[in-house]
Amino acid sequence: MRILDRLWRALDDRLDLAPLVEFATHKEVPQHRRSWAYYFGGLTMFFFFVQVATGILLLLYYRPTAEAAFESVQFIVTRVPFGWLIRSVHSWSANLMILAAFAHMFSVYMMGSYARPREFTWWSGFVLLLLAMGFGFSGYLLPWNELSFFATRVGTDMVSKVPLAGEWLLKFLRGGEEVTGATLTRFFGFHVAVLPMITMALLGVHLALLQRQGMHIPEGLEEEARARKPLRFVPNFVMREGVVWLVGLAALAALAAFFPWELGVKADPFTSAPAGIKPEWYFLFMFEALKLLPAHVLGIEGELVGLGVFSLAGLVWFLVPVLDRGSQVGHRSRAFVVLGWLALAYVVSFTLLSFAGVFK
Amino acid sequence: MAGGAMPGSNEGPAVSRRGLLTWLLGTSLGATLAAALYPVFRFVIPPEVGEAPVNRVLAGKLTDLPANSGKIFRFGSRPGLLVRTPDGAVRAFSAACTHLNCTVQYRPDFQNIWCACHNGVYDLQGKNISGPPPRPLEAYKVDVAGDDVYVTRGA
Amino acid sequence: MTSRLLAAAVVLAHVAAAALAAPPANAVRAPGKHAEDTCTACHLTLDDARLRAPAQLANSDIHHTQGITCAGCHGGDAGSEDPAVAMNAAKGFVGKFGRRAIAEMCGSCHSDPTFMLRYAPNIPTDQLAQYRTSKHGVALAKGDTNIAVCSSCHGAHGVLQVNDARSPVYPTRIVETCGHCHGDAALMARYGIKGNEIAEYKQSVHYAVLVKKNDLSAPTCKSCHGAHGATPPGVSSVSNVCGTCHPTQRERFDLSPHKDAFAALQEPACESCHSNHAILHPTDGWIGVGEKQVCGNCHSAGDAGATAASAISGALEKATATITGAQGRVDRVKRAGMLMDDADVKLEEAHQSLVVAQVEIHTVNPARVEDQTKAVLAASGAADTLAAKAEAEIRYRRTGLFISLGVIALALVALIIKIRAMER
Repeated sequence: MRILDRLWRALDDRLDLAPLVEFATHKEVPQHRRSWAYYFGGLTMFFFFVQVATGILLLLYYRPTAEAAFESVQFIVTRVPFGWLIRSVHSWSANLMILAAFAHMFSVYMMGSYARPREFTWWSGFVLLLLAMGFGFSGYLLPWNELSFFATRVGTDMVSKVPLAGEWLLKFLRGGEEVTGATLTRFFGFHVAVLPMITMALLGVHLALLQRQGMHIPEGLEEEARARKPLRFVPNFVMREGVVWLVGLAALAALAAFFPWELGVKADPFTSAPAGIKPEWYFLFMFEALKLLPAHVLGIEGELVGLGVFSLAGLVWFLVPVLDRGSQVGHRSRAFVVLGWLALAYVVSFTLLSFAGVFK
Repeated sequence: MAGGAMPGSNEGPAVSRRGLLTWLLGTSLGATLAAALYPVFRFVIPPEVGEAPVNRVLAGKLTDLPANSGKIFRFGSRPGLLVRTPDGAVRAFSAACTHLNCTVQYRPDFQNIWCACHNGVYDLQGKNISGPPPRPLEAYKVDVAGDDVYVTRGA
Repeated sequence: MTSRLLAAAVVLAHVAAAALAAPPANAVRAPGKHAEDTCTACHLTLDDARLRAPAQLANSDIHHTQGITCAGCHGGDAGSEDPAVAMNAAKGFVGKFGRRAIAEMCGSCHSDPTFMLRYAPNIPTDQLAQYRTSKHGVALAKGDTNIAVCSSCHGAHGVLQVNDARSPVYPTRIVETCGHCHGDAALMARYGIKGNEIAEYKQSVHYAVLVKKNDLSAPTCKSCHGAHGATPPGVSSVSNVCGTCHPTQRERFDLSPHKDAFAALQEPACESCHSNHAILHPTDGWIGVGEKQVCGNCHSAGDAGATAASAISGALEKATATITGAQGRVDRVKRAGMLMDDADVKLEEAHQSLVVAQVEIHTVNPARVEDQTKAVLAASGAADTLAAKAEAEIRYRRTGLFISLGVIALALVALIIKIRAMER
């Protein structure tokens, strides 16, 4: 331990680490009946770190071309020692990350934590969610199997409906008119370079804001928070987070061992799409809604209407800190609470109903 | 070791208990880390076959393939047929008959490729010349490097 | 004046009919020029549908598009617009042909190699000679006019080439064409034919493959009976006929004591076990002297044949059971997430050996069948071993998982206790 002390003193001498350490550790986490929700953000970040680690490992063997992608994943899963584990953990952690992200977002919303002065945290967080879904969408194609190929085709078809920029967007995403090896290479670039870069930057901003502004106490719980002693961020809250993260790790290990991610069948662009193509579960609530729309609504193409509605909804959700005037002055409006419950109910119910096969 | 600490005392059982706890925590976290890192270390060392076999296999050795003979080899999970013609040329085809997928064989007595199931016949170019097969055999590219015969499948 | 008006009217009709008779714009024109003749021109304008039909079919008829028009078969004068001249018997006109005349008429060109050379050098010219040997031809010669002649199968007008998918004698359509008569049980009874052949053939694997998979190499009526020389193969020729597509089975059969036995008994070889028309997919369960087992047709329990049958049947049963067992184990392991390409290859090998074993049945020699089933057992055994390895791997992974979970649980507990201790 003396070595560590000396190392510390050497760095502190040169860099004046004390203020940095203070910034990182000074935070106190209030305790109230909803403070269990504070763990979701860190859990999301934990799963993200797992993704980065397993992703880098997979990069050692993966080949991003149409000819070799599927075979390289098969190689990883069958011939590389513990390749099956790394790959299954990567796939499961992606899903758990997005699940945790949604839980984090909705709990933050319901606690009204987007209220002033935390608008930037909300905005960076929303973009981080979009980035996570982008990670999921781009990563899903990489094994180049039948399901992912056709799911990507259906998913990217949507963008062509955007007025004016649709064609250009489609070509930008697909690397061409159709989903081909060019799409695979492009998605790979997005998945391992572009998205990680942007995510790291925004995550840094998101965390820095958190440290600077401290934790938000939901309206009505200030009494309780004052009465109960807050936790010191370091070491108490962080150790509790460790517990949560260890549970997450255990869940990942169990899922990878008991429900290994399947390889599927290599994609063949010339076969017809198998029945029941659908995107990953975190897109289902939108996918099923779009399918329900009629072909034309008031003369406009149904899908375009759907796209428009979702874009509008996303914009409203993004701008909630501003739209909810009350939150600017410390009394968020009931209307937005209701909106939050409605949004949550919609997302959860449509996702579950889709699984139940109700939308045939 | 239960019921250790006496209020007010800072040494003795309390210290050793706290020490034990810290040790336990450190060791178990270390073990967790080791359990997580062990697969990672095994993963980064590549296996014997260093590459994913995609379109190319080592089908056999030239010395094992005399003129006017054929040999079945494995291409992924499908059978292939390596043929050395009477003139000494080396050719490779998919061994799956285009009729009903039986495995074809080389017939040195007829110097052609024959399918036993329904008497389908292919010539040495893989072209279907008699019997039910509707299409020629899929041809593969052959590269000979020294004694090694490599067969490549089109994308 | 009147005759000129008449001529003008006929010419106008001719022009109109020529316009009507012109082929559709996108039709592929056969080599040889379209002969414009008055027959089709006039017949197209007639009210009687029976007389109009041949003219309507003219443009799809191979003879017509090759330049051999109505007069080529019916005689008469194609150049004249006057029916009395055009259809003058003195000019060789024959209206409706009698049955016996049809074969001779078609044969007058189709049996003439020099003539056929001008149009289609590769079409055989022995159809009439073959026909004369066929059951149809023989009956016709005896005076039965209710029998099939050339036009019964090929059509008289609108004759298409055999390789045209619309032709009644295209491989996939032959059974329906033969079935016009041979599917009529009452008609067939008059000839002592059972009349159930068509129905039986439609149950067969050959028909299923022909019609569902469009495999044109699958046998249809003409493949075994001949097309023009249509006659059932003689009892002694059945194995030759089946052997043209199934030479391996035939070779094996020739090695067996059955070859001489069937010849001596004058029994049709393959047909005795496999039937002639209702040829179904054989199963290993057929082998034996029990009920519904084919060997029992001649053999009885305890004789040499029955002993061989039970040995063969036993070997095949064991082989099949081993494959099924190995396949099941491999499938279970696949469902648990393991990739079993190597095992799949071994199972495919085992399956191939089983197929060869089933061909060896025809030698009725248990030793030969067992040679193959040994290979089946070896390959299935290899697949089974691979599955066992995979199961061991799964157990290793699960054990590793439980150990990791245990370690994580320990760390969890330690952490929680530490937190509690810290906050006391």
